[in-house]
Amino acid sequence: MSEPSLDTPFRERAGRALRDSFLQEALSIATTKFIDLRREAFAGFPGGDALRDRAREIKEATLQRLDHHLERLIDNVEARGGHVHYAATADEARRIVLDVARRAGARMAVKSKSMATEEIHLNEALAAAGVTPVETDLGEYIIQLAHERPSHIIAPAIHKTKGQVAELFTRELGREAEPDPEVLTRIARAELREKFLQADLGITGANFGVAETGTIVLVTNEGNGRMVTSLPRVHVAVMGVEKVIPSMTDLAVFLAILAKSATGQKLSVYTSLVDGPRRGGELEGPEEFHLVLLDNGRVGQLAGPLREALACLRCGACLNVCPVYRQIGGHAYGHTYPGPIGILLTAMLNGSESVRELAHASSLCGACADACPVRIDIPRMLIELRRDVSERRIAPWTERAVFGLLGWLLQRPPLYRAAARIGRVLQRPFVRGAVIRRVPLFLGEWTRTRDLPPIAARTFQERWADLEREGRR
Amino acid sequence: MDRAAFLARIRAEMGRATGLPASRPTGRPARPREQLDVLRREMAERWPESLAGFKREFERVGGVLHRVADARDVAPTIVAIARERGMQRAVAWHADALGVDVAPALTAHGLPTTAATDAEVDPRERERRRAVAAAADLGVTGADLAVAETGTLVVVSGAGRPRSASLLPTCHVAVFDREALVESLVQVGLVLEAWHDGSPPPWRGASINFITGPSRTADIELTLTRGVHGPREVHAVFVERGLSSRRA
Repeated sequence: MSEPSLDTPFRERAGRALRDSFLQEALSIATTKFIDLRREAFAGFPGGDALRDRAREIKEATLQRLDHHLERLIDNVEARGGHVHYAATADEARRIVLDVARRAGARMAVKSKSMATEEIHLNEALAAAGVTPVETDLGEYIIQLAHERPSHIIAPAIHKTKGQVAELFTRELGREAEPDPEVLTRIARAELREKFLQADLGITGANFGVAETGTIVLVTNEGNGRMVTSLPRVHVAVMGVEKVIPSMTDLAVFLAILAKSATGQKLSVYTSLVDGPRRGGELEGPEEFHLVLLDNGRVGQLAGPLREALACLRCGACLNVCPVYRQIGGHAYGHTYPGPIGILLTAMLNGSESVRELAHASSLCGACADACPVRIDIPRMLIELRRDVSERRIAPWTERAVFGLLGWLLQRPPLYRAAARIGRVLQRPFVRGAVIRRVPLFLGEWTRTRDLPPIAARTFQERWADLEREGRR
Repeated sequence: MDRAAFLARIRAEMGRATGLPASRPTGRPARPREQLDVLRREMAERWPESLAGFKREFERVGGVLHRVADARDVAPTIVAIARERGMQRAVAWHADALGVDVAPALTAHGLPTTAATDAEVDPRERERRRAVAAAADLGVTGADLAVAETGTLVVVSGAGRPRSASLLPTCHVAVFDREALVESLVQVGLVLEAWHDGSPPPWRGASINFITGPSRTADIELTLTRGVHGPREVHAVFVERGLSSRRA
């Protein structure tokens, strides 16, 4: 399925975001707040760094025996009366969920926030099959009503003002609403409560799948995850294969760092452990529980250059600290997963072809790697992606030509020195003050948003040669 | 795709991976149930510190802790909470699951309360009872763990322990005693290992929920708002002399 926002080039999408003054302010406030909350949470938690190392090691050890842990998960889910399905692609995953929905006779599905179902574009497929999908996370509900996509992994509607939300509720729900978050939240509560009680199908992702117990773990703040897994007759969880962890002992480690990284909470309000369908004597719980194991590009990276990204917990910490994300927000990236990790995940899902522009949407400052709770070396992989984009000649030809010429020159010192001398003459008409503000032709792209330092009156090599002569004297 | 083909592809890709860092998996408790007994004995000696820690964190996330001497004092405390807020109706866990029979006392004091059944009932009756919970202002549950590190109540679902009681009403009141107190998430990990060790007791349900304060969202302009889907208020009542509860 095509992403409408991808029709325009990244530069234009980013440019639009930069001109949106509300977005700029919202991004700045939100990301700064998340950064502060995260810092405070870890400052009051002396064992945090050691736990982050442990968490990463658990992820790595689990990937090294991924087949074993998945088999344990599958066996234990089935032993509890759940059904497990296998989706190699997004298309297979959609068909599996649609099939479950059809057999359940579902007309409406309530969903709790899930990046995996965003990734496979499940909502469009459900709607096309006559099943109305209802997002129940407040932020997701807002953007669904607005027919938009999430702009942040954990705060999907940060790009909207309360005034915009009030207008949206008035238009879409026919309810006159004040632009007050408290009032708007109450309206959403009432609207969605009805849906929870009526829906035949509940759809979730999974933050973790615990292999040794067959447990699916969901983390939410609003309680919608609990509703979706307890009230509808059928529950389907869509889980990326890399989300499996061995045991409850491991779960305790991840829970201790996940919420701190995401929102600065010690724990999110609700952590729900789902041990399969309803058991005898229970008032609530689904009669059927389905787990969809999703590959969609993940398995191909087990031995691939993006393997490290399989450790991602989807906490959003790298978005908040990224100087590029902080300027352009999530939509400009144009894919399901925004931010630094989003570039890697997009390449994982859609191939490196799909990030030939995005691979460069990073200053490689390393803030993302510092913030990552499992210490994923995102800049290293971005550099590899750039190399890949360059080797496979999918970068624009102008860029390839310029860098090709530069590389050729750098290998020929006499020519390089001659070029510097010629450049010194040619640059004269363009130097204003001590900088070049504009260069001609297609090279002008370079100076559209930045200045270029002119070639020095005497280059370093020339001065070095002089100094050497003086030294000999 | 079927299971065999799916796993075969994973094995093939795993086989191609080279130069992987050495990494050891986490050591799991060998006999979690026995270790849990040891932990419980340790916790029994340190409960006042655990309770103080729980109170601090629980209040930090917006919870209200009440302390009563005896199980008899639970109902009056809940009635007071309901009266202050003009609440009309309540639902509660089954007396055996709660460790105290609050429903008759609450009803007698002007808060009509429906206690959960611990028997299997048909789908229509389940739906009816869920509607009762959805219409209630207040839900009374037990708490199988109270975690000092995070101010978290851990609630296990099951027969006589409806999930809706801590979810659908606007106010949730959890009743617990010193036996539920643990210090840390690491200890919770051990408890979860023990609960999942061997076959579960017949009353055990399929859902375990960690509840850390009232339902909240900051999705509109990052303004913190309570009670978006779950309860707007969470109270915990600590019973000093203990409840006669069956443990998860």
